[in-house]
Amino acid sequence: MPEGPAIAQLDLELRHIRKRYGDFVAVNDVSLQVGKGQFVCLLGPSGCGKTTTLRCVAGLEEPDAGDILIGGKEVTGEPPWKRDIAMMFQDFALFPHMTVARQVGFGLEMLKKPKAQIATRVAEVLKAFEIAHLAERRPSQLSGGQKQRVALARAMITEPRILLLDEPIGALDYSLRETVMLELKALQKRSGISFIWVTHDQNEAFSLGDHVVVMNHAKIEQQGAPDEVLSRPRTAFVAGFIQGNNVFEGRAGASRDGVLEVVTAAGLFRVPLLDLAAPAAGDALTFSVRAERLIENPGESILNRLTLRCVTVEYFGAFRRHVLEGAGGLIVKYDQFGALPPSMREGDEVTLGWAQDSGVLHRGPSA
Amino acid sequence: MHWKTRSRITSWLLGIVTIGFLLFQWAPMFTMFTLSFAGENGGTTFPMNGISLHWYQKLWEADLFDDFKPPMLRSFLLALACSATTVVLSVCAAQAMRGRFRGNGLYFYLLLLGLMAPGILVGFGFAILTRLLGIEGTWNTTAYVVHVSWALPFGFLTMLAVFNRFDPRLEEAALTLGANRVTAFRRITWPIILPGVIGTALFGFSLSYDEYARTLFTAGSDGTLPLAVMAQLDRQLTPELYAIGTLTTAMSLTVIALCAIGFWLRARALRGRPS
Repeated sequence: MPEGPAIAQLDLELRHIRKRYGDFVAVNDVSLQVGKGQFVCLLGPSGCGKTTTLRCVAGLEEPDAGDILIGGKEVTGEPPWKRDIAMMFQDFALFPHMTVARQVGFGLEMLKKPKAQIATRVAEVLKAFEIAHLAERRPSQLSGGQKQRVALARAMITEPRILLLDEPIGALDYSLRETVMLELKALQKRSGISFIWVTHDQNEAFSLGDHVVVMNHAKIEQQGAPDEVLSRPRTAFVAGFIQGNNVFEGRAGASRDGVLEVVTAAGLFRVPLLDLAAPAAGDALTFSVRAERLIENPGESILNRLTLRCVTVEYFGAFRRHVLEGAGGLIVKYDQFGALPPSMREGDEVTLGWAQDSGVLHRGPSA
Repeated sequence: MHWKTRSRITSWLLGIVTIGFLLFQWAPMFTMFTLSFAGENGGTTFPMNGISLHWYQKLWEADLFDDFKPPMLRSFLLALACSATTVVLSVCAAQAMRGRFRGNGLYFYLLLLGLMAPGILVGFGFAILTRLLGIEGTWNTTAYVVHVSWALPFGFLTMLAVFNRFDPRLEEAALTLGANRVTAFRRITWPIILPGVIGTALFGFSLSYDEYARTLFTAGSDGTLPLAVMAQLDRQLTPELYAIGTLTTAMSLTVIALCAIGFWLRARALRGRPS
C-alpha cells in the first residue's frame, strides 16, 4: 500500500490496521483502499478477522495500531456516531420497541431533522423499499425478508458514504438469498454508496463484489477483482478456500523459459512461473489446477498427467464432480459439464492431465 | 406409556406438594385477613365471634391509628426513597458488570455479601459505627442507608439477569445510526430493560417497607411501621392490628397488580395489533 497524503476520492482507506484481544491477534496489518461507490467483499472463514475489521471501520472497535480514513478524513479515534457510515447486522438488530416507521426514521431523528421532513422522507424510503404497508408494525410481526428490508432502509435513509454489512443475508432462507443479492447489488449501483460486505460465502463474495478481499488468520491473503482472484489464486489458502481447486504440494526443480518443474509425491509437473521469480531448487511450494480444467485421457502433447482411481461421483445438475484418489493418498477433484454423458464410474482407473497453462503457481512456501 | 407422559401417581404427588406449599405460604396471612373481620366482641384467635367491619371502623376513628399514621408515612417514604436509590445503583452496577473490568469478580461477590449478612448484625454494627462517628440515627438517614444496602443485591441480581438477555447489538445499531451513548441508552436500552427496572423498584420498595431487624437499631426515636406494629404487639393484641396488616397487604397487592397490568399492556403493544 502506498503511504502518503489521503486520497480524497477514496471512500475508505485502512492503513496497517492491527487489533488484538489479549494474546489473540484478531486483525494483523490489514490495509485496504475502497474507491468511490465500490462494492467490496471481505471473505474468509469464521474467526479470520473480517468482522473485527468491519467493526473497526464502524468505530465499534478501536484498532491498536493503524489509521482509518473515511472519505479522506482521518477518523481512527472518532466514535461511531461521528462517522459517515451505517451498518447492517447479521440478525438485523431491529429495535423491538419501535414501529418500522419509527426506526427507519431514527437516523434522521439523530440528525435533528424537523419532524415533518422526517415523516416525508420515511414515507418515501418505505415506498422505495416496498415496505410502506409495514410502517406501523413492530419487528416481532415481520418475516425474515421483511426484517432485512427494514434494516436496510434504516441504514440507508441518511445516505451514508459507506454501508457496512455483516453477513447481511446469512439469516435469510436460502431460497430468498439470490433475489436479495440481486436487489442489493442493483441498489448499491443506483445509490453510489460504497458497500463493505462481510461474508464466509464465496458465491456471495464473487458474484457481488467489485473487489474481493480474502482473509485468513487475521491477515489479508489476497485482494483483487473477483475473476482475478478466482483465476489466479496467490496462495495455497486462497486456492483451497475457493471451491473446485486442486492444490498440489511439491518442491521446486529446474526452470526453463518461464516454466518450473515441480516434484511432487505424485510425479513431476510443469507449471508456468508467470510473474513470479523462479524459486531455488528444492524449495517447498504449492500450485493449483481448477477441477474443470482437467482433461480425461489426455493426448500425447499433455505432459502433466496422473493415473487415479475414481472414488465418488456427485451430480449437481450444472456439473458432475468426480473425487479421485491417487498414489500416497492424493485426492483430486475433476468436474465435468453436467450435460455430458457420464464417462467414468466409481472404481474406474483413469488418466487425467492438464494443459501446462492451467497450472497456477502460488507465492510463498506451502502452508 | 410414553416416557414423556407423566404417570398419574406422580401428578397427584406433585400436585399435593405444590398445593400444600401454597397453603403453608398463604394460610397465616389468610388467618389474619379472616380474623380482622371479627365482630365487636371478637378476639385474636378462632373461633370467630361474629363478622363485621368493626375493627376497620375503629382503626379509622380510634387514637390507635393516629399512633400508626406517622410510622406508616415514614415507612412509605423510606420505601420509596430506597426503591428509587436501588434502581439507580443497581442499573449502574449491572452496567458496570457488562463492561467487565479488573476485579469484577470480587465486586460481584462483595455486592452479594449484603444477601448473606444477618440483618441484626448489620443493623447493630451500623448503629455502633454511627455512634462512634457521633451521628444521631434517624429513619431517613441511617436507616435509609442500611435499607439500600439490603435491597441493592436483589436489584443488582435482577438487573444482571435483565442485561444478560439484552442484545448489545441494539445499542451498537443505534450508535452507527448517529446516536451518542447517552441517547442510545435513553432511546434503546432503557425502554427495553424497563420491565426489569420496575421489578427492581418493587423489590426495593417491599424489602424496605417490611424490614424490621435492620431498622430496629438504626431508625432512632421515630420508628417505621414494622417497629410500631411490634411495639403494639408487646402492649396489647387486638384485631385492629390484623386490620392494619390486611390493609397494608392489600395495598402491596394493588401495586403489584397495577405493575402486572402495565407489563401486560406493554407486551401487547410490543406484539402490536394483530394483522
